[in-house]
Amino acid sequence: MTATGKYLRIGLGVAVIAALIIVPMNFNRYGLYILSQWAVMTIAAMGLNLTLGYAGQVSLAQGAFVGIGAYAAAIMTTQGGMPLIAALGVAIVLCFAIGWILGYPALRVQHHYLAFVTLAFSTLAFLVFRNEDWLTKGIYGISNIPRPNVMGFATNRPLPFYYFCLGSLGIVSLAMWWLIRSPWGRAFVALRENPVRALSLGIDTRRYTLMAFAIGSALGGVAGTLYAPLTQYIDPVPFNLSLSLDLLMMVIVGGSGFFFGPFLGAMIAVLLPEWLRFTQGYYLMLYAVAVMLLLIYSPTGILGILDRYLTERRTKAASALRAVAKSRLETAP
Amino acid sequence: MRSGIFAGLLLATVSAAAAFAQGGPIKLANVAELSGGGATVGTNWKNGIDLAIEEINAKGGVLGRKLEVTHADSQSNPGVARAQVQKALDNEPYVLLGPGYSGSVKVTSPLAAEAGIAQIMGGEAAELTQGGNKFLFRTSFGQQSSMPKVAKYINDELKAKSVAIVWVNNDFGKGGRDVITKEFAKYNIKVAADISTEAGQADFAADVSKIKAAAPDAVFVYVNEEESARMLKELKRQAITVPLMGETTLVGQKVVELAGDAANGARGHVGLTTDAPVDLVKAFREKFLKKYNYVPDHNGLKGYLAIYMIKATTEKMGKVDAKAFADTLHGLTIKAASEPGILMDVTFDEKGDIDRQGFLVEIVDGKQVVKQVLPKLN
Repeated sequence: MTATGKYLRIGLGVAVIAALIIVPMNFNRYGLYILSQWAVMTIAAMGLNLTLGYAGQVSLAQGAFVGIGAYAAAIMTTQGGMPLIAALGVAIVLCFAIGWILGYPALRVQHHYLAFVTLAFSTLAFLVFRNEDWLTKGIYGISNIPRPNVMGFATNRPLPFYYFCLGSLGIVSLAMWWLIRSPWGRAFVALRENPVRALSLGIDTRRYTLMAFAIGSALGGVAGTLYAPLTQYIDPVPFNLSLSLDLLMMVIVGGSGFFFGPFLGAMIAVLLPEWLRFTQGYYLMLYAVAVMLLLIYSPTGILGILDRYLTERRTKAASALRAVAKSRLETAP
Repeated sequence: MRSGIFAGLLLATVSAAAAFAQGGPIKLANVAELSGGGATVGTNWKNGIDLAIEEINAKGGVLGRKLEVTHADSQSNPGVARAQVQKALDNEPYVLLGPGYSGSVKVTSPLAAEAGIAQIMGGEAAELTQGGNKFLFRTSFGQQSSMPKVAKYINDELKAKSVAIVWVNNDFGKGGRDVITKEFAKYNIKVAADISTEAGQADFAADVSKIKAAAPDAVFVYVNEEESARMLKELKRQAITVPLMGETTLVGQKVVELAGDAANGARGHVGLTTDAPVDLVKAFREKFLKKYNYVPDHNGLKGYLAIYMIKATTEKMGKVDAKAFADTLHGLTIKAASEPGILMDVTFDEKGDIDRQGFLVEIVDGKQVVKQVLPKLN
């Protein structure tokens, strides 16, 4: 990569971050709520992107992990009166452990068989949320979930809470950036591309499969602990299978296996239906059609289009160079 | 000096805008379950609203101003409902309508209260009006007022000592089941079987077997209309002959159409029904059927009534005043004689709960027959 390209990318990154901080300052409460929702869903989708995009394990349980995180936050902050950070710790450990255990079937089954196993878990989690009244208050849900104080700042107002979500997204993104560039990240990709070869190269595929599941699930838990104080009321319904499918769609539409895929995917899934609302009764249909067209045009998602474009440009540049070199060879005496 | 001119200009603009708003339409915002699990609820509610607004606007509106409503879809998801209510409130509507699901009401009502805007909703869970919210109003009986009547009937008229309860496991069914279980305890009625079912459940054979095994004196069925019909058919197939008691959702016209003969003998307490023996309700049913080509359930009635509540309250105030709306509606009695759109006389108490006449009906030869009219309390 050229130096200008690198500066261009850094400049673009800084501009986007600055925009995310400055532009929402004069948004109304609705706009801030939607943006906060985007940040939360991006975190959950990033977790799934690690499991699916990098490690290649299909999971339909990410919504359930968001639910586990949300319930941990709701129960601990309302009934226990504990700070959200404690709930965050519990959610991460809990989701990591459950994700690890759920990873075991992935050692034996692959692709759609694995999807079925995780789907069953998703249903199981929903039933626990709904039927274990003593813990989750069942179908009535848990209301009046407080928003946290972060370093002395109350986040009750929409804008501070949005910054809280954005900050969390920033931290998670940095951690993820580091992770996928670490030997672990490379091991995950090796696992996706060719598990047999990965094994022959001395990568403990068993451990890394479980790890991919556990870390991805833990990020679902992180998103959940933010979701609960965002809506301030949770019941089991938002965490049913459709959330898992939504998250799966975000990862695929954004571009599975691309670092920025979940950001774009969550933007499509959260913002596009809102933009289309002016069409009244048709908005969900238009949204569905848009997603289908996108996936027909580019099965690798939005970033797949960009990737294809860049590859083409590189190929063209390379063939141009080759042509020049060839003609020089031919004209040489 | 310049800032003085600027301030003057600003003031002029603001007052001009205010003057314009005086004559413009009255803006209402509806957030309802237009897709997802509650689509039937939300669509009926929306259609009821549209029908009432069309009628009122055709007659010149309220205080000479037309009504205008925006509909937003909550996708039957409380998180989405919150976003949509927030959006609606940012546009400062006169009154907020909906949602219909109790969970969505719970998540949105603090927002409306904070904005000081009255919220007229469709939820029936008992606890909604018990948190001291001064801006929340029901359109139908809450379960805390309908279930005691059902329990009393089961005790006094059916003289049942043990009852099997069948309920649908969502906030509607669970809420009703919890209230009636408490009421049964007061009469020392034993709950012989406590059976939870799923929304959209197709087969009730196993559930009915459990009822049969428990051999109760009566069965209380509290599930939605389609499921009620399937349940009734299965009860008949397994030859359970004890009295069947329910609420609006067991004895509606739709249940009779779907269940046929099996519906005969089912009894229920009905707060709002298009089958009520009231001329104004019958007329409403005809109008609705003509416009939308189907017979509405009680949610259609609720949406329709919500708009006439707004009309009556505004005319009582003599002005369009969002801040004073909730205060005026508390304690207000609206008589059908002076406001036919309200269909039946109704009074709103300090909590936003309603008082209206109700009916105890039984299905006889595929027709709803009113056995007893439960009068309005005050």
